[in-house]
Amino acid sequence: MIDSFPVAGAAQSRRAILWLLRDDRPRALGGLALVVAGLAASMLGPWVLGHIVDLVIAHSPISTIAWWCPVLLAVALVQGAFTATGSALVAAAGERIAALLRESVLGRALRLPQTDVEQAGRGDLLTRLNEDMSILSTAVGELVPTLLTAGLTILLTLGSLVLLDWRLALGALACLPLQAFAVRWLLRTALSVQRSMRQAASLRSQEFVESVDGADVARAFGITESRERRFAAHSRDSMRWSLRISLLSTKFFGKLNGGELLGLATVLVLSFVLVRADAITIGTASAAALYFHRLFDPFNTLLGQFHDAQGALVATGRIIGVAELPLPSAPVNPVHPRGSELTVRGVWHEYQPGRPVLHPVELTVRPGAKVALVGASGAGKTTLATIIAGVREPSGGTVSIGGVPLSELDSATLAHTVTLLSQEGHVFHGTLAEDLRLAAPGAEQSLLHKALDTVGALGWVRGLPSGLDTLVGEGGWQLTVTQAQQLALARLVLADPPVAVLDEATADAGSAGARELERAADAALPGRTSLVVAHRLTQAMTADEIVVLADGRIVEQGSHAELLERQGEYARLWAAWAAARATR
Amino acid sequence: MTPTSALAALVRPRVPDERHSPEPVPDPVTPGTVIRYSLRLGRRQLIAGSLFTALHQGAETAVPIVLGEVIDRAIAPGDPVALIVWIAVLALLFLVLTSAMRIGLRNGTRGIEGTGHALRVLLVRRVLDPRGAEGAGPGSGALLSTTSVDAAGVGMYNSGIRRILSAVGALIVAAAVLLSISVPLGLFILLGLPLWLLLMRRLAGPVANRVRAQRATAAQASQQAADYVRGLRTLTGIGGTEEALRRFHHTSEQSRGAAVRSAAAQAGYDGLNTVLTGVFLAVAALIAGILADQGKISIGQIVTAVGLASALIGPFSIIAGAARLLAGARVSAQRVADALATPPAVTEGAGRPASVVGALDVDIASLRLNVAAGESVGVVCPEPTDAIALLNWLSRKEDPPSGAIRLDGVDIRTLRLADLREAIGVSAHDAPLFSGTVRDNVLAHGPADRLDPALRAAAAEDIVAGLPDGVDTEITERGRSLSGGQRQRLALARALAAAPAVLVLHDPTTAVDAATEARIADGIRADRAGRTTLLFTSSPNLLSIVDRVVLVRDGGIHAEGTHADLSNAEPDYRDLVLT
Repeated sequence: MIDSFPVAGAAQSRRAILWLLRDDRPRALGGLALVVAGLAASMLGPWVLGHIVDLVIAHSPISTIAWWCPVLLAVALVQGAFTATGSALVAAAGERIAALLRESVLGRALRLPQTDVEQAGRGDLLTRLNEDMSILSTAVGELVPTLLTAGLTILLTLGSLVLLDWRLALGALACLPLQAFAVRWLLRTALSVQRSMRQAASLRSQEFVESVDGADVARAFGITESRERRFAAHSRDSMRWSLRISLLSTKFFGKLNGGELLGLATVLVLSFVLVRADAITIGTASAAALYFHRLFDPFNTLLGQFHDAQGALVATGRIIGVAELPLPSAPVNPVHPRGSELTVRGVWHEYQPGRPVLHPVELTVRPGAKVALVGASGAGKTTLATIIAGVREPSGGTVSIGGVPLSELDSATLAHTVTLLSQEGHVFHGTLAEDLRLAAPGAEQSLLHKALDTVGALGWVRGLPSGLDTLVGEGGWQLTVTQAQQLALARLVLADPPVAVLDEATADAGSAGARELERAADAALPGRTSLVVAHRLTQAMTADEIVVLADGRIVEQGSHAELLERQGEYARLWAAWAAARATR
Repeated sequence: MTPTSALAALVRPRVPDERHSPEPVPDPVTPGTVIRYSLRLGRRQLIAGSLFTALHQGAETAVPIVLGEVIDRAIAPGDPVALIVWIAVLALLFLVLTSAMRIGLRNGTRGIEGTGHALRVLLVRRVLDPRGAEGAGPGSGALLSTTSVDAAGVGMYNSGIRRILSAVGALIVAAAVLLSISVPLGLFILLGLPLWLLLMRRLAGPVANRVRAQRATAAQASQQAADYVRGLRTLTGIGGTEEALRRFHHTSEQSRGAAVRSAAAQAGYDGLNTVLTGVFLAVAALIAGILADQGKISIGQIVTAVGLASALIGPFSIIAGAARLLAGARVSAQRVADALATPPAVTEGAGRPASVVGALDVDIASLRLNVAAGESVGVVCPEPTDAIALLNWLSRKEDPPSGAIRLDGVDIRTLRLADLREAIGVSAHDAPLFSGTVRDNVLAHGPADRLDPALRAAAAEDIVAGLPDGVDTEITERGRSLSGGQRQRLALARALAAAPAVLVLHDPTTAVDAATEARIADGIRADRAGRTTLLFTSSPNLLSIVDRVVLVRDGGIHAEGTHADLSNAEPDYRDLVLT
């Protein structure tokens, strides 16, 4: 059980990225080598300029000076060609990592136990899949190449200074302690501020979505102003963090400027001394000054994009944290259920320790029989239904299908064996046919039509603008609650599982739609061992067996007629239901 | 503002305090007015930011000039005094540079964030506007992207202007220095650079196309992933996980292909850029060298000129990219303006009822429904859309095409919306809860002493008893921690707690079992005794507690009477309610 999705630390992220890079290593390293070669060529620039200075001082003829011009052109050509090819190769490797991570995160989202995902927060998961992933892909496409170039340029420039004159290079290094101090200071302070900023932005988005979805309620209760104030407070909070980040980054730049001044002054003073001692020429001094000046830009780029780099690191950690979550181990010897008899042995459950919502339950459902689960709200019906469907792991006890405990089925077999229809009537984005084929990949159109017909949906589907090819879901044609539930039942028919669990699938459709859906469910269930959570007792009436739950215990069991005769809990529920319907 | 606090605000810009609520964007709301609004709002930061960023850019540009001077005046002649003087000048220059950078950047960020905050709050205010929005309007996803991305995007206009002004500042300094060194060299650099930039801008088009294609596929991938996560229960329920992942793999690979193509185009462009920059600098160096050789410029001036030529690339690119930067901000302004200017669904009224008795007359086309003050009426609509329309008209989510609804004889369209909704409370069957405690949710509008009676009437006491902190338990993610039936009962308790003169409930018990529903029916009857109550439902439990039931069909009242009468006399009614 996980309470919240983890965030990977730096070490874990590094390991994960190296592991993902394993197939692309030649490409990535080759690309890197080309970039290094291209940047190394560019280092000739200031050296040539220094040489020109010396030629001028020596009053050489113009032709000698002009001769160096093609050298500068060649330098530019080599640099351009090599860095372009190199960075394209590096980017291709990076994009593969991004794609692998993207699929891995969704894979965890869909394959981890659903109850874990909901406990840890679907909102958090969505933020990671959308915002963090988008930050990561920007990092791969833009940030990493920029930082790579900047970092290499700094290293190579320092290298060139060493080749020019080691004493000057040593002088240039005078800036290093200050720069290192600045980076250390930044790493200590900025990362947590960065996290807080993302957190604040996330809360702000959550508050916003809540206000949009609840706008009608806010209007109805005249609380629009307090909703606005709440949002404004979150918005101000995120603004405050952004300003803190800006403050930190300018302080950081200030420290870098200090380092630059120190280095530049040292190089100039050293040049002065060395030129006076005739140890170097004025040309060399000029080249050194130009080299050092050329360091400013990459330094500022490298360290100036710390804001984005830190953000990318945080996002990467959040993505890898999910991508590396261990999947539930598959059973060692996966078996296939023999038949579709459903047995529940000693199943109990508690969400919070010491507060059991389900006391040991014993239940057997004959193959092909339909059992209705009846009871007051909070009696534990949904909990039992989700446990039987294999979506929730019980605190104790076992559920078996065809004699095989659910825990010994691998996930694919489980998915083909039990289908759970929940209250969440989600319609997937895409065409109606694509939505249906999620339950039956590659199913023929005629099969889709047949399934829709079974649940009484073919009529309205034919009436849609493009029939089965109509775009539905977010941004598409909006289906009514009843239609969405009919679609869910059609998916059930297509998935064709031996066992079906229906949980409150009719609740949100309103009372008129509920009857229509009951008819659809009756058409979808024959031949399957089914468990129906019944709100409307008419659903229970037609069941082969009715199981009455009260306070997490099975209190009665039997057919409609038997239970009425017993004059117990069910008879009481039925009386309440029938009394309201009695024609006086 | 005192001078000291003004200076403090300049160096360390602050967040506006909670008393400061943003002014509305003046009418008509267009991208232009949104941008003007944002400029006016951030004018202080814009002015300070532009001045100081220009100073910063100018100082950066001056660094190679000082380098040239050090070589010419100190190193070449070997003059130690000059060395000390010029190093001191360099230090001073850096002090100016770094202080200007701090103030400029901080004010720039404050400008963007201030605009972003104000527009975000205005967007939420628009979403929550009592007059509602015409039509379905953009979904919460699209609106979210407008608030989180575009609100700050408009601020980029301020930032764009700040950067352009500062680039122009740097350019002027550099041009003056270059031309004073040598007119031909200065002209070559000042005319050559824009030409080179124009050429690169030409080539940027195809690259931008590939980048756009890449962004589109990336957005598609994230939309698809989000869709699967939102439908997680549905997906795992039908065993569609593997098929979904297979489809996502396909989308993800498409996205990767587009990203690799886009990166290759970008790399090619950058490579070409490097080559052209190199060519340009080589020619500049050659000209400088020849001029120095002819004694027309000094050695230090070669360093200055070459240094300046490369230092100017930044400011020139900013100016060349200005149009695109501002265009991006304008696109954001357009989206913000569209969202803010969504036409309201209804108009605000002015009337303020003194005290509401609660008599309701619905007189729309052929539908005439008169509800006496204190009466309870059940409304059965076989067509769900009829119920929705009536509820929308009663809450003035929209107005009927003709006819009127009167409260105590007064057309509800003439009443102030806030007063109307205080008088007529309408609660939908799927009304969401807000995150916050149970108490805050139930007492959204009711007085504290309504908490217990409302919870009791909605049969919600056992829910509260089962929560770890009772009524002070925090509800998370719009009540996802509760079951559907629990959420529905708390929403009902909220509607009852507000105790409006007229309460309109739509299917308040669809997710509740029959026994609890019967308790709720009794609870509603006791709680609403003597006050006008309309129940839109086909639940016999609820219909049996009202004084009168009306069956609405084909835009009129098809039948009316008590639940018992209709059950006996109306076969249609029996079909709808009792089967």
